[in-house]
Amino acid sequence: MNNNGDEQITRRDFFSIVGWGGMAATLGGSAFSFYKFYFPNVLYESQKVFKIGKPSDYPMGLSEKWKKERQIWVVRNEGGLYAMISICRHLGCTPNWFDDKKKFLCPCHGSIYDIAGNVLGGPAPKLLWRAAIKIDPVDGQIIVDFNHRQDPDPISTENGLMVEEASREVEPFFLKV
Amino acid sequence: MPEKSFEVFPRSPKKTYGLMELVKGTSSSVEKEPEDTIFSWPHLFYIEFLVVLGVTALLLFLSLYVQAPLEEEASRDTTPNPMKAPWYFLGLQELLVFFDPWIAGVGIPVLIIIGLMLIPFLDINSKGKGYYTFSERKFAISSYSFGMALWFVFIVIGVWFRGLDWNWYWPWENGHMHKPVVAGLGDLPVMLSRVLGISAFAGNAIADLLMLAYFAIGLIIPAYLFKDFLKKLGLFRYIATMSLFLMMVGIPIKVALRLVFSIKYAIITPWFKI
Amino acid sequence: MSNLWKKISDGFTSSPVYKAIFRHGYDDTPRTRALTTFSNVLYHLHPVKTRRESIKIRYTWCMGGTSLLLFAILTVTGVLLMFYYVPDARRAYNDIKDIMTVVSFGPTFRNVHRLAAHGMVFTVWVHMTRVFLTGAYKPPREFNWIVGVLLLALTLLLSWTGYLLPWDQLALWAITVGTKMAAATPLFGVEGPFGAQLGMRPDNDVKFMLLGGTEVGQNALLRFYVLHCVVLPLLVVVFLAVHFWRVRKDGFSGPL
Repeated sequence: MNNNGDEQITRRDFFSIVGWGGMAATLGGSAFSFYKFYFPNVLYESQKVFKIGKPSDYPMGLSEKWKKERQIWVVRNEGGLYAMISICRHLGCTPNWFDDKKKFLCPCHGSIYDIAGNVLGGPAPKLLWRAAIKIDPVDGQIIVDFNHRQDPDPISTENGLMVEEASREVEPFFLKV
Repeated sequence: MPEKSFEVFPRSPKKTYGLMELVKGTSSSVEKEPEDTIFSWPHLFYIEFLVVLGVTALLLFLSLYVQAPLEEEASRDTTPNPMKAPWYFLGLQELLVFFDPWIAGVGIPVLIIIGLMLIPFLDINSKGKGYYTFSERKFAISSYSFGMALWFVFIVIGVWFRGLDWNWYWPWENGHMHKPVVAGLGDLPVMLSRVLGISAFAGNAIADLLMLAYFAIGLIIPAYLFKDFLKKLGLFRYIATMSLFLMMVGIPIKVALRLVFSIKYAIITPWFKI
Repeated sequence: MSNLWKKISDGFTSSPVYKAIFRHGYDDTPRTRALTTFSNVLYHLHPVKTRRESIKIRYTWCMGGTSLLLFAILTVTGVLLMFYYVPDARRAYNDIKDIMTVVSFGPTFRNVHRLAAHGMVFTVWVHMTRVFLTGAYKPPREFNWIVGVLLLALTLLLSWTGYLLPWDQLALWAITVGTKMAAATPLFGVEGPFGAQLGMRPDNDVKFMLLGGTEVGQNALLRFYVLHCVVLPLLVVVFLAVHFWRVRKDGFSGPL
């Protein structure tokens, strides 16, 4: 700035602004390209929408049939069917189902879930996800959309983090069959 | 900066290499005998050589007896039980039992790194430089030792006392038998509102106030008790030091709350829980 | 006989090739002692003359130097292991199996690599404790302490990225847990505070960036391999250079 009160931009100021501005734009642009480069646009991961057979394949209780391949459990209760994702909400380990205790225990940090996915103990901050499911009208098989997940906000109770079961048994996360 | 530079050794055109230049200024060897130093060759190098030999021999010897583990091929459907991180992260893994992942996995490590980096700027005690002393820097040494001890206590617990489902197993217990499931952790605000018979909102408010009070008391009481400490550090440095210190002490406090009162979260907000 | 030996060794040390490499004789004079240090690229990291106190093991514990040595051993054994290891999720596990069973001295190099890695974490930690206890971070050495803390963080990251490469159960789940923590980063992770509110999804948050996907798979293995073998070691070398340079500039902290 000139000291004589004149707000005029001198030739030196102009080139300084253009020069430093150009430098900043170049650095910013290359930083952005570095950043963007780390995000792949095409993934070659396993399919996230898949079929798991007919509802009649699943008797009362919990089925671990698809745990290995698709990371889901299929559960049938009195009302119908839901598909629960076998990823612990704490840090992503695979909880183990204990049929005698009717509970899921996570081997990593000891989170405890009941069969509905409610947190009974341990560090898990939220309930197990349930995936969206629907019936394919053509062949009658169940289609699971792995990335469309039900994630309700739980309520702290004396027994742990809970959500009313009725509020979870809604479309598209529950099949009344 | 030298007041006036002059050539001690006039440069000769025949020389291509000057060993040193002399400048005026303070130096650590002022008023010291030159005999305080010895030639690096061979006095230092032979020590280094012996260490290289010793460490290499030790590694080769250990490598005969300590086999690097290789478990079954990676498979997403079963998590090994218990799943243990490498030993130097087991302290953090242990904290994951007591804190949400964003605190134990991100917040605490970042605070540790930043806290360590800030040490030279927070500890302005000029004594105790270049020799071992406890009496001249009691607070610095004890808080560092406390943090270290905490870190290694959690590591020891993680390595030797955690078994199936991350339950506590004494070394003499059968590590292959699952322990009964202990359910029922409460949150401090919920417990407060139940015990005092007040609304959930009031319970929340009291829990938040307790947390605030912890930091407020932790900042104010030492300021009164150790006026010199505050005066020497200045307000800004004092607050930074004590905040880091209180957070460090807060970790075992939270662990104790969990173990004694089965408290999962001390404060609950709609966005995060601590 | 000894005469003959002397003749041979004299002939060797006075040959133009020897003189081209070493440039000075080996007579025991202060001049030669100084020359030995500063005419050798590795030795000239050291000063020609060292303080008598600063080479006492009871003061230094020799932990910084041991860390550097372990880093060198890790580089050598790591490069050797790279000859047999391909970061392909379908064969990585079998490559490690090969190293442990059919490669000559394969188990030795892998064991040494692993032990040195564990050892380096330990020695860096003890070195930091020693520096703290002697107050060696106090002015004028504040900056070098910061560099040291960065080196500690890099050491831990190196260890952690190396953990995934065997592609066994230990590897997969340690990295699953570790990167799930990244997803819990406030603001930048989908499961962290304020993450979802800021539009983070499983396919655009910081965990996705780290893994190159939504799960620990081929992309993650390759990324960790490149970080472990190229990016992090280079960073360590750069910071080590600064670290040693500052040690020389700031001088020895111990008693004078």
